[in-house]
Parts: sequence; structure tokens; C-alpha cells
Amino acid sequence: MAVQDAIPAPQAVEDTAGTVRRKRILRHAGIFLTLILMWEFGSRIGWLDPLFYPRPSNIMRSFWLIYFQNGNVWYHLYATMSLVFLGWIGGSILGIGLGSLVGFNSVLRRFLKPYVIVLEATPRIAVAPLLIAALGFGASSKIAIIVLVCFFAPFINTLSGVMNVDEDRLELFRSMRASKMQVLRKLVLPDAVPIIMAGERLALTAALSGALVAEFIQRDEGIGSLILVYTRNLNMASAFACIFTLTILGFLIFKGMEKIDFYVAFWKYEGGRERVSAKRRAAMEGPDHA
Amino acid sequence: MPDPTIAQSSTHDIVVSGQGVGKTFADGSVIALQDAHFNIKRGSFVSLVGPSGCGKSTLLRLISGLIPPTSGEIAVHGTPVTGPRADISMMFQKATLLDWRTAIENVLLPTEINGTPTKADKNRAFDLLKLVGLEDFAFSFPAQLSGGMQQRVALARLLQTGADILLLDEPFGALDEFTREHLNMELMRIVQEVGATAFFVTHNIAEAIFLADQVVVMTSRPGRMAKIVDVDLERPRPLSIQTSVEFNKLVEDVRETLGEM
Repeated sequence: MAVQDAIPAPQAVEDTAGTVRRKRILRHAGIFLTLILMWEFGSRIGWLDPLFYPRPSNIMRSFWLIYFQNGNVWYHLYATMSLVFLGWIGGSILGIGLGSLVGFNSVLRRFLKPYVIVLEATPRIAVAPLLIAALGFGASSKIAIIVLVCFFAPFINTLSGVMNVDEDRLELFRSMRASKMQVLRKLVLPDAVPIIMAGERLALTAALSGALVAEFIQRDEGIGSLILVYTRNLNMASAFACIFTLTILGFLIFKGMEKIDFYVAFWKYEGGRERVSAKRRAAMEGPDHA
Repeated sequence: MPDPTIAQSSTHDIVVSGQGVGKTFADGSVIALQDAHFNIKRGSFVSLVGPSGCGKSTLLRLISGLIPPTSGEIAVHGTPVTGPRADISMMFQKATLLDWRTAIENVLLPTEINGTPTKADKNRAFDLLKLVGLEDFAFSFPAQLSGGMQQRVALARLLQTGADILLLDEPFGALDEFTREHLNMELMRIVQEVGATAFFVTHNIAEAIFLADQVVVMTSRPGRMAKIVDVDLERPRPLSIQTSVEFNKLVEDVRETLGEM
């Protein structure tokens, strides 16, 4: 019958969707493998200079070397990560603090605006050598560089979050005779959390770049210095292994921030709302409203 | 022009009064409200109706103390209004709930602003959610509620303040016709139940009459109170009352004042 022909059985639809997905995954894997194999053989038969483009198999071996056989990467990984973390925390405190201060004080805002514009237009990484000259070699100048590089996103986002408070909600708080502090704590700051979190995500990525630049300049420890050392010794396979380590690190940072956002700005997510809703019900209902 | 003074039975019964109230914006070039006089009795439901720009929202905000009058004086419970106060509570067209708070936490907000909520406050908040029919949604977040449910939460929050003067600025104006009608019925029941004095801004004539004891008809350019129509329809009012002859006489009266006929 014509009508029956027009409507495919649900089972068939599901199968097709699954097949399409499986095919897509296979296609991607196929392309990736082909590229890697082309790289490998191109390098073996001399199309690619193995000095600058080490074979994938060599990079894999280097991974094994630096992580397990020698195990030297761990120390540098730890050094870089602690730098990133400290610098990010410092930059966040500075950015969020300054952002809320400037957001709330219109006089301060007018006064600081030109400086903010100048700071925004200047590539902040350019200041790095000056910071090292001022603070000397060592952790403090590295952290200062990271703070400088990563404070801007939280600053701008906090500023716009604090300034873009819904007029009607503000009026509601005024009609309830809320103090300035209450408006800040119960309305403005929670309202700004999602946009501040977006700034924090950018800041953490920037902090990683900042740490690498600081390590490139100081060359004492960290993944950045390790890459320099390997490149100087023409050990490109290990340098690539370090770079891919950073790729993985960047990905983990992204995923980690997503996870934090799920908890801190929970009301944006279906799952987050359900989780907190159940928790609050348990907390309030337990003893009082059994 | 008829004397726009409402129910001057006894001065003790008057909870909100205005003498020559006016408001101009933009350095006096925009007259939002001109020379308004009114005396509102305890427990009345007053509708403010008129076209946009007639100053009905301005009047509401003047009574709330959110903005000061340019001329004249408004008194509530015998004392002049100089700013937002505890015996007045306001509700807006937008629900203005806080997204990161559950329904019950939103209802408790006014109590929190005044201090730490006690167990009695929490019970009261639960009771109010029950009153607006949301007892099963106390721990839902605004994003999990429909527009009508969000306004119910806002209504519960309005009542949680304990204020006996309720200012409602087109509270259900953004909702669909059926939800609005339903919530209007609820509102009428609840306001009567708590014995509050209510000011209700709307641009819907039938809605204004249906809800109110007095309809303040306002006209624009400049905004002023043109007439106060007493609505002597018995309560409780069923929806079907809107097809009655008395009701439609009142509609005609308001329309004539507005110059639409």
C-alpha cells in the first residue's frame, strides 16, 4: 500500500541512524590513519626530511621514553602546571576583583577606561622581558607574566556581567529595600557567574600560552624549556611528543572547565538543575516537612 | 469633569491617598502624570486602565516610592511616601525571578533581605506556594517552570513580604489569554483571602472591570486620571459575568471616557 510505503518502520530508521554514525566514525579513522601512514612512509622514503618531520613511530617511541623509560617529562609537566595554576588563580583574583570594582564605581570606570583601552591594544606578552628584568629570573617573574596575560578575560567579562544587570530585577531589589551589599551578593554576582566562568575558561587557555612563553625566555624548567632543549639537540621526535602533551593538556583544561561550569553555573544545565533541586529538597524538607 | 475622589466614607479607612500628584521627566518636557487626586479605601481592588503613555505605570511607581513625585504628595497609612517601604510590595510584567534559586528560595527572597528566615517564614513560603497552586514545584528552578508558573511564584513572593498594599504592573500581560484569565481569577481569590489593597495596571478594559472595585480611567498626553468608575458587581465573580448587561454598561462607560466610541 502506498501509505505504508511512505512511512518507514521505526526500527529501520534507528538502524539507518546507527549505520550513518558508524560509517562517519570509520571514515574519520580511515582518513586519520591514511595521513599518519603517508607521513610515516613519506619520511621513510625521503619525501619528508626526517630531521624536521620525525616519523610517527619515532614520536610514539619518544612518548614512551620521556614518560616511562626516562620519565623526565613529569618534573617539567609539574613545573608548567603549577605555574599555570598559580598564574591563573592570581590573574582571576585580579581580574574579577578589578572588574567588580570598576563595574560598581562609575567614577573609577571613567577614570580607568583609557588605561583599559591602552592595555587591551598592547600585546601583553611583549611586556614579559621587562617583567623578568624587574623581578629577576625565577618563579615570581614567570607567574607575573601569566597573571598579566590571563587577567584580562575575567576582568572584561566580570565588568560586563556586573554592568549588564537586568533593570527590572534591580528595581525589584530596590522595592524590597535591599542594601547595596545585598544587591551585590544576592543579585549582581550570582547573575554574573556564567559570563565570569566564560572569561575564566579563556584565561586558563591564555595562562598555558603565557607559561610557555615565560619558559621559552627563562629556559630553566617546564615543558616550554624542554621543547627548546629537544629542538636545539635536533631531537624533534621528543619535541613533538612534548607538543602533543600540550595538546592533551589543553583538551583536559577545556573539559575540566566545562565540568567546573556545570557545578558553579548549574542553573544553565538541565542536569545541573535537577541535581541541585534534589539536593535543596533534601536539605529543606528532611527535618521540617517530612 | 467629575471629582476623581474615591469613597470618602471615613478617613480611617483610607490607606493610600494622593494630593495633586504630578510627575515630569526629561527636565520637565515630558509630563507623565498631571494633578492626580485619589483616596483608596482599605481592601479595595483598584484597576488602572488606559492607553500607553497615560502614566498608569508612573502612578504605580510613584506609590511604590521607587520614583519621587515632581509635585504633590502621596501618603500611605497616613505617612508620606519618601521611598520604598515595607507595607508596599510590587510585582512586574516580567516574573523577575532569580534563575539560580528554586521557587521556594525565590519566595523567601524578601524575608532574606530583611534578615535570616526562620522556620515560620519557610512554612509561610510553602503555604503561599500552595495558595498559588505550586506546592509540587517548590524545589524547581525558574527554567523548569512555564511562564504562567513563574508569575505564580512572583505572586507568592509578593505576598511573602507581608505588605498589605500590592502594586501589580501588568503582571500577566506577557502570558497567553487562557493562562491570564485563569491567573486573574486566582489573583482575585488570593487578594480577597489576604485582605490586601491592590492596584492593578492593565490596558485591557474588560480585565480591569472584571477584577476591580474601582476602575481608574487614565488618558494620555498629558497623563491624567480622567474618571473613576465604581464597579458594584457582587463577588465572587464568575467569568460569565462579562457577558452580563451591567458589565457591558461599565465597559461602555470606560470606553466613552477613553474616547474610543
